[in-house]
Amino acid sequence: MSLFTPEFGLVFWMLVIFVILLGVLGKYAWPAIIKSVEERAAFIDKGVEFTREAEKDREQARADARVLLTDARKQQMEIMQQAERAKQEIIDTAQKTAAHEAKRIMESAKLSIEQAKVDAEFQLRERAGALSLQIAEQVIRRSLAGEEAQMELIERLLNEEG
Amino acid sequence: MYQLRNIFLVLSLLAPVAGYGHATGEKEAGEFNLKEVLFTHLGDEYSWELPWGASIHLPVIVRDFAGEWHCFSSGYLEGDGEREGFYIAREGSHAHKVVGRDEAGDEYRPLDLSITKNVVAIGIGALLTACMIFALSRYYRRNRFKAPRKGAGFIELLVEMVYKEVIVEVLEKDARRFGPYLLTLFFFILLSNVLGMIVMFPGGANVTGNISVTLVLALCTFVVVNVSGTRHYWREIFWPDVPLWLKVPLPLMPIIELFGVITKPVALMVRLCANMMGGHLISLVLVSLIFLLGAMGSVVMGGTIVVSIIFSLFMNVLHLLIAFIQAYVFMMLSTIFIRLARE
Repeated sequence: MSLFTPEFGLVFWMLVIFVILLGVLGKYAWPAIIKSVEERAAFIDKGVEFTREAEKDREQARADARVLLTDARKQQMEIMQQAERAKQEIIDTAQKTAAHEAKRIMESAKLSIEQAKVDAEFQLRERAGALSLQIAEQVIRRSLAGEEAQMELIERLLNEEG
Repeated sequence: MYQLRNIFLVLSLLAPVAGYGHATGEKEAGEFNLKEVLFTHLGDEYSWELPWGASIHLPVIVRDFAGEWHCFSSGYLEGDGEREGFYIAREGSHAHKVVGRDEAGDEYRPLDLSITKNVVAIGIGALLTACMIFALSRYYRRNRFKAPRKGAGFIELLVEMVYKEVIVEVLEKDARRFGPYLLTLFFFILLSNVLGMIVMFPGGANVTGNISVTLVLALCTFVVVNVSGTRHYWREIFWPDVPLWLKVPLPLMPIIELFGVITKPVALMVRLCANMMGGHLISLVLVSLIFLLGAMGSVVMGGTIVVSIIFSLFMNVLHLLIAFIQAYVFMMLSTIFIRLARE
């Protein structure tokens, strides 16, 4: 079985070539390749990690923004409600004041009207008294001139006055 | 495919008819010698045969019994040629090897360090491996952090498969230390296996199917495993955790363990060699069948050609798969042996 007996020459050359190959590749090629492969794997892992982190941050930021927005909306609503309330209050007060003022004016007007009325009545009364007195005076003055003349006079005076 | 089947059918039907007329003929000169062909192709040669009868003559380097070195082209030894007292033995225990005659006139085998076909093939395989790996490492130096495409991408695929899936998984923290050896082993075996499948010059040599080559590979693994073995590993061999009577008067377990240390690389050696040789053998036999049956007439020969080529094609595809699997298995088992020694 010559096929299964190792040949010294071939063993020798194989050993030489293989050891040289191993030495050259082991020194100059494999460490660089292994390093590159591992570095790249680490780099990719880091990249993925970084992306995941960024994603998380973004998610967080978005949630924060949402909270802020909701708060702002709530505040806005509150402020608006307050404003509404204040407006209503002012209007109410104004209305009340106006009503009060109006009432006061009305009352004073009524009072002055009353006063005027009383004054007018008084004047009228005075006037009527004076007139009566005048008429009476005329009548007394003409009493000498007869009944008929007296009546005529009264008539005329009344007409004049009336 | 359908047509092919028809041709095949017709040829096989005609075969017995044609054979009948020719089989009674006398034996011709220059008869096809299957054993000779198989041994030449599976074994080593001093020159490399090229198509159309040409061949590359490789240097023969021998040291005679007196300790003197002789170096000459193997072309001088062709066709029973003799040079400086050396010639190629035709038969006997040194058949197909360079032999000489000592003072007494007896045939002897000199120390033979010839650059044979297999040596050249090993060199080509090693060179290609180096080119491939250096191409990848140059790529990495030029483009950091960029994934390679095409050729370099394919090599990287293999590197990642071997390094990440096997070496790192098995060896863990020792991966960086033993990675270069295991990767070199894998790529060298793979390339030699595939080169061996190419029929023409740069390939075709039965490198990994040669016991000398696998012997060296297994020896390397043996050395790496045992040199890097920890104290625990050696304790497991010489003083394993078994009942005392198994190791004290008669070191039964140590003997068995020591035997295991040796059989592991031997199994590696035989597995790779036998697998690759088997692949070559099948291809050779299937092709030889054409010439063997060719003696029975041209029709039989035609039929055999069709059958042989279909079968060869099938076996070659299978052999390609085995070429890869064997390289992988050799590397993986070496990794596991190292791991066992490192525990």
